[in-house]
Amino acid sequence: MTREARPPIVELSNVEKRYGDGPLILDRVSFTADRGDFITLIGPSGCGKSTILKLISGLNPATAGRIVVDGLDPSRAVEKLAFVFQEPTLLPWCSVARNVELPLRLHGSDKAGRAAVAARSLALVGLADRADYYPRQLSGGQKMRVSIARALSVSPKILLLDEPFGALDEMTRDHLNEELLAIRQQLAWTAFFVTHSVAEAVFLSNRILVLSANPGRIHSEVRVDLPYPRTEETRQSPAYQRLVGDVSKTLRSVERLKP
Amino acid sequence: MNSQSPNTRSPGARLPRAIKRLMPIATGVGMIAIWYAICLGMSPEQRFLLPAPHEVARAFVEKGPALWNAALNTGEGALLGFGIAVGLSFVMALILSLSSLVRASLYPYLMILQMTPIIVMAPILILWVGPGLKSVTIITFLICFFPMVVNTTQGLISTDRNLVDFFRMCKATKMQEIFLLRVPSALPYFFTGLRIAGTLATIGAIVGDVFAGNSAGGQGGLGFLTIIYSAQFQIGALFATAAVSCLLGFIFVAGVIALSWLALHKWHDSFSQSDV
Repeated sequence: MTREARPPIVELSNVEKRYGDGPLILDRVSFTADRGDFITLIGPSGCGKSTILKLISGLNPATAGRIVVDGLDPSRAVEKLAFVFQEPTLLPWCSVARNVELPLRLHGSDKAGRAAVAARSLALVGLADRADYYPRQLSGGQKMRVSIARALSVSPKILLLDEPFGALDEMTRDHLNEELLAIRQQLAWTAFFVTHSVAEAVFLSNRILVLSANPGRIHSEVRVDLPYPRTEETRQSPAYQRLVGDVSKTLRSVERLKP
Repeated sequence: MNSQSPNTRSPGARLPRAIKRLMPIATGVGMIAIWYAICLGMSPEQRFLLPAPHEVARAFVEKGPALWNAALNTGEGALLGFGIAVGLSFVMALILSLSSLVRASLYPYLMILQMTPIIVMAPILILWVGPGLKSVTIITFLICFFPMVVNTTQGLISTDRNLVDFFRMCKATKMQEIFLLRVPSALPYFFTGLRIAGTLATIGAIVGDVFAGNSAGGQGGLGFLTIIYSAQFQIGALFATAAVSCLLGFIFVAGVIALSWLALHKWHDSFSQSDV
């Protein structure tokens, strides 16, 4: 791998954020992400993990500090990234296929190309046979898959996922975690993932950033050196169990830091 | 899984279908029976107050051509006023949805339009455009406009925040945001307004006909007939006029429901239930 030779794909240095005259949400947050990293942000509520995703996405500007996304300012790097929200956030009046191709439609790409991309993205998430369904005909897990297919339709270099599986039951969540990693094996994007679940964080990522709240700061980083591809067996391994225990302990100590 | 949403059926759907269909008819028969009972219980001197059902039916036949013509005239005014209200209210709602500042500056004046009683507007309208179809159309418009504006505006500003963020992240243009996101997501609200306006349209046209209609040359509507029959004390014919007015209103509402079904049934939950 020549990973070390290339510049980081995302770099935050001393980033601060506050909304208007409100309290400081993020305080001097700095980290870099290499290509192919799967970084999970975890921490007590109000620690600004979602805010970090929004800053990287360019939806909101940082109050201070510097963010570089693939060599560009976040506001100009939009084509390189895709966002998956906590809710599926689909257009209820559009079929599954039309939802998946929506980002391409908004960018003005032609119809034939859009259809091909939509079909490919839906096949990746295992919903090729649901292309003509409407969102209300799908289960919660299927809707989330459509949302992920939509994000993949723009062939992003960076995927930002804001607690995408938080509302799903544990079985569905585990399944989707495995699927997400399987898709990642085929399309090598860099992922930033926000979650409240330690197990999910350890299973998915190679790096976990633990944040503390009020204001949000990076407390520590945990490296997860479990080999990919990860499967159901990974969850049974002692190394995985130990890491879950370690991260939970760190998280508890962070929550005790409350001012 | 079976995705045709079998779980969204309402508890009422468990009743056998035949009974469900028959219930409204049975109710109607029962009401006519009560109606007859009341008529029979009245002293002969009081009978003129409430004509028996068959007397109303006879009035229907006798006044058929006049009622039909009046219904067409009223229907025309109602349709025109309603149509203009739908078109203009949509434009107005788009303007109002731009910002809360625009809403704050325009809403009070829209309220004035809504608060002014038709009976006061009528003489002014007659002065401006003369009695007849024009006045009736404008009065219908005035009655339908406000609920349409309020509902559509509410819909346009209630767009899912996450979807708006998503569109902005995709660098969607303002036009794309309005016509691919805000307008479609406002449709259920728009159709709620349309249903209210649909019921008001015939009422508006009849009221307009009473205050600013033109009866010359067979131009009179159902409001005009109401005035004539009440002056002539033809109670049976009055009842028949009321029935025709109801029918006209029903046709309007049925049309609106059909339209909203066409626009919404595929994706909106309001049509996923068996009873609409």
